[in-house]
Amino acid sequence: MIFREVEDRDLIAKARRGHVEAYNVLVSRWEKRVFNYLLRLVGQREDALDLSQDVFLKAYQNLKKLDDPAKFAGWLFRIAHNEAYSLLRKNRPEGEMTVEPKMAEASGGLFPIESTLAVRSALARLSDDHREAVLLKVYQGFKFEEMAEILSCPVSTVKSRLYTALDLLKQTLAPVNTGGAE
Amino acid sequence: MSCEIDLKAYVVGEATRQERGMVEDHVRGCQGCREELDRLNLTRAALVSLEDEEIPRRIAFVSDRVFEPRWWQTMWRSGPVMGFASAALLAGAILVHGFERAPFVDAAQIENRIESRVNARVVAAVNEAQAKQAAEFAKVLNATKLQREADLATFQQASEYYQKQMARMEVASNTGYGQ
Repeated sequence: MIFREVEDRDLIAKARRGHVEAYNVLVSRWEKRVFNYLLRLVGQREDALDLSQDVFLKAYQNLKKLDDPAKFAGWLFRIAHNEAYSLLRKNRPEGEMTVEPKMAEASGGLFPIESTLAVRSALARLSDDHREAVLLKVYQGFKFEEMAEILSCPVSTVKSRLYTALDLLKQTLAPVNTGGAE
Repeated sequence: MSCEIDLKAYVVGEATRQERGMVEDHVRGCQGCREELDRLNLTRAALVSLEDEEIPRRIAFVSDRVFEPRWWQTMWRSGPVMGFASAALLAGAILVHGFERAPFVDAAQIENRIESRVNARVVAAVNEAQAKQAAEFAKVLNATKLQREADLATFQQASEYYQKQMARMEVASNTGYGQ
């Protein structure tokens, strides 16, 4: 008997022919990543779970539209991005801005901060666009070009969002040590 | 910071090999950039320390037979399957044809039949050629005959003319005309 690793493209090909079980294997490979991306983006566990199910259902329904199976990850996260932003727009009234971190709160005198709570809090203070740039780059490892495709915006915008986000996070998670002056 | 060096691209893994080398060379001699790079690395380390959560409920889909395509629909929509089926059908037809019992063939009979057909064709061709030749000959003969009749008529006219001339000359000599 010969064992070989079944690749995503094999599963995609089978799922396209109506093999639900092949699609379930594909889901099991990606559900944790998609769920955590959505959880960090929308902030609510139940919402993230519901969105994850919607994302995988939409992906199954549109699997035949995926031109290149090698781009499945970017394509899946594009669906996730669209679903998440639909919810964020619905839940957040027009014009309401995300609270930007304040220097006084951000520095907090902790150096270095490794606490999970602190990281979550720092991410939560970012705007949705800035937070998403960090999630796609730092947690999902996408390249700038892939992020631009997922977010439907130029690479320059992606870079700008990520760099701004890193500056803001840096103020919280790695503040300048001023010898207790603050 | 006034240095024109992209530390963030370096930290998030977007810098090329050459750019990485430039950043590493630069921070050795620039304290401000070295501290900035340390802070960015700390920030990144803090971010990646956040572990992924397990999904509360696994996502799975079940097949609903009502909405599933029938076997022939699946087959019809699948190009490779249809291609394979066609090829298999063709191969089967060739195989059946190959094993089908061939009828008894008498070679001598076929040879005789071919020979008689060839002979008949040869005779017909010869007859046709002979008929053509006879027709040509008759045409030439007829033309010759007509020419001969025309020549005889000309000769007769010339002969009559000479006879008349001779008669005139004879009358003239008898009457002494011209003396």
